[in-house]
Amino acid sequence: MLSRAASSLFWMARYLERAETQARLLDVSLTMALIDVPEDREEQLSVPLLVTGTREVFDELYGDITPQNLIDFLLLDDRHPASVFSVIRSARDNALHVRGNLSADVWESINLAWMELKELRHKGVTESNASRVFDWTRERSHVFRGAAYGTLLRNDAFHFLRLGTFIERADTTARVLDIRHRMATKSLEGHPTQSFFEWTALLHSLAAFEAYQHTYGHNIEPMNVAELLILKPDVPRSLHACLQEIADLLEQIESGEARRARRLATSLYANIRFGDREYIEDRGLHEYLTDFLARIERISGQIQKDYMGW
Amino acid sequence: MVMLIQTPPEGIYDELFDENNRVRPSCRMLEDWLIKSDEDLLAEKRREADVLFQRLGITFNVYGEDQGAERLIPFDLIPRVISASDWQRLQAGLRQRVQALNRFLFDIYHDFDIIRAGVISAEQVFANPQYQPGMQNLKLPRNLYSHIAGIDLIRHNDGDFYVLEDNLRCPSGVSYMLENRRMMMRLFPELFAQAPVAPVEHYPALLGETLRAASLRSNPTVVVLTPGRFNSAYFEHAFLARQMGIELVEGADLFIRNNKVYMKTTIGPQQVDVIYRRIDDDFLDPLAGNPDSMLGVPGLYAAYRTGNVVLANAMGTGVADDKAIYPFVPEMIRFYLGEEPILKNVPTWQGRKPKDLSYILDNLPDLVVKETQGAGGYGMLIGPKATKKEISHFRKLLKARPDNYIAQPTLSLSTCPTFVEEGVAPRHLDLRPFVLSGKKVQMVPGGLTRVALKEGSLVVNSSQGGGTKDTWVLEDDQC
Repeated sequence: MLSRAASSLFWMARYLERAETQARLLDVSLTMALIDVPEDREEQLSVPLLVTGTREVFDELYGDITPQNLIDFLLLDDRHPASVFSVIRSARDNALHVRGNLSADVWESINLAWMELKELRHKGVTESNASRVFDWTRERSHVFRGAAYGTLLRNDAFHFLRLGTFIERADTTARVLDIRHRMATKSLEGHPTQSFFEWTALLHSLAAFEAYQHTYGHNIEPMNVAELLILKPDVPRSLHACLQEIADLLEQIESGEARRARRLATSLYANIRFGDREYIEDRGLHEYLTDFLARIERISGQIQKDYMGW
Repeated sequence: MVMLIQTPPEGIYDELFDENNRVRPSCRMLEDWLIKSDEDLLAEKRREADVLFQRLGITFNVYGEDQGAERLIPFDLIPRVISASDWQRLQAGLRQRVQALNRFLFDIYHDFDIIRAGVISAEQVFANPQYQPGMQNLKLPRNLYSHIAGIDLIRHNDGDFYVLEDNLRCPSGVSYMLENRRMMMRLFPELFAQAPVAPVEHYPALLGETLRAASLRSNPTVVVLTPGRFNSAYFEHAFLARQMGIELVEGADLFIRNNKVYMKTTIGPQQVDVIYRRIDDDFLDPLAGNPDSMLGVPGLYAAYRTGNVVLANAMGTGVADDKAIYPFVPEMIRFYLGEEPILKNVPTWQGRKPKDLSYILDNLPDLVVKETQGAGGYGMLIGPKATKKEISHFRKLLKARPDNYIAQPTLSLSTCPTFVEEGVAPRHLDLRPFVLSGKKVQMVPGGLTRVALKEGSLVVNSSQGGGTKDTWVLEDDQC
């Protein structure tokens, strides 16, 4: 397929995954801010800014960390590329570029999201109706995924689209786990009663709360959380699950000669697949995740070089 | 509430009503639906259609407006019906006309028979800015130049069809023909159950067949070349590429090596055999045409000249759909095919002929004056609708560059009932069938019907407020 089309599909899927992440993160942070002890409230609200690396831009444009400012900044502000509004706009721009490769259903799911979002933005979003918008964002993301899964031919267009989804997802999981794990561990020392909520916030941010209950029961142990989100292949947002998909997809993509991206991905996949919690513990979770993030970044860059660069 | 339908003014052919304001036999199945329809229900269907078109993203960009401004072409729910017998004749006439035009294009780039025979002057062909001397003696597969032609027709008050204009370069609009049909079937399935409407859905298949036949290679790689997503017809380019299952490329996706065209794919270079290009001649290759063009592919012209790639349509077809050449098409048909033209031309006075010019200048308020190079309804004067100032402006233009203009009588374009603010009223329309030339000449029944939505207006172009309708060719008149 055309390299430019592969690139647009890859980025389109990354952006749509990002929109869903933003909504989840913001949703959890706003809820947590309500139950958190007052001195931790600001830290709680700043999590989505840290994950997306937009703290500086936010300080410049808004300053005060309040729920309404966060909603304005992360949902609707078009002055920076990380808001849900900007992200969906970028996704639609990319979709427009590859319209020839998309099924009508996939195109419509994205175009409709864009049309509705413009309408939402026009009406404005406040604290009281924000959760409806979060639900909406998640639903649009599900519709897109369903349309892609249900209507696209299983060719390289589909594979590149899925690659974008899982690269973005692996990146997000590692970032959220890193930041929220640190916060929750800290609260274990400071406010033990509060810490249960911190752990559930981490799990909810990655849609893994039920998975945890199912796997480990009610008692939340820090290393169990890390194990679940890194090593468990059956948790959809775990690093293991993402890398398995990435390695598989690169295997399926038609490729002239052996490509470097494939080698890098297979090697990272093997590390996780045969990794264990002792290794992560010895290495230190933060160091482990920092290294992971650097490697996933390299894989993403290499995919673009191998298949999309000319 | 029952619909109020305005009847057409006298002296105009209406597609639905005859001169006694009775519904024509071919339109009987619309009668019940339209005349007894509930106004509110139809208004609701119109809104539904708008939402669906928005969702599909069937929008177009208007030149001169903000980039990114996307507008819908208004779609009218009331179909335009063409009887089976009318279509039989139209089809034969279109086939004949496009064949003659392709023969003409071959001739003026090879043997010049028609010039030698004195039918058309050498000056009119060779001095035409659309003539591409570089195309001379270039051998093209099947001697085809215009693989895809859009012929604009109108129906005059005598009830007969006239060709208004041939479009042999990159005619657009076919996606609207297809989407309008899809929309009508979705909104009014019960109508299609009653009426024997000929299908048009196989157009992309015929187009694909035509494009593959444009190359002599077996199983050639075909692509659609688009100027990109800011082009007014981008939706159509993407739509056709998807329907045919071929790549939609931009200039930057292609490159030339050893006079061959390749596209940049995820597995390396892949050779391209046929380019269905939706970019004008001048922008195809910055080395040969407009050096500032960012849309084209450097070296494409040389590759084309070598015969390593086929362009559909060919370069240099514009000379044959020029308004200055238009008056000669009936002669071409006689000259190349030895047949009498089936379709009529609109009588045309040519500014370049002194006698015609003085007639034009004397009758400006009654005539339509067009630039020979103009397109899209720009640069024309509609005498009866023009102000004194506009007329005197055109008088000056005509005197300065008489050979730039032609003039035609003001035709009374036929009307068809159309939804407007006040209810249902007659509005003028035209018809653009799409004619495909490959191993044989083919077309789907009908074409794109464009309608001028302003009362009395004769300008149907979408860039100037025109809308579209579904076009129903009946498979059988006896029902």
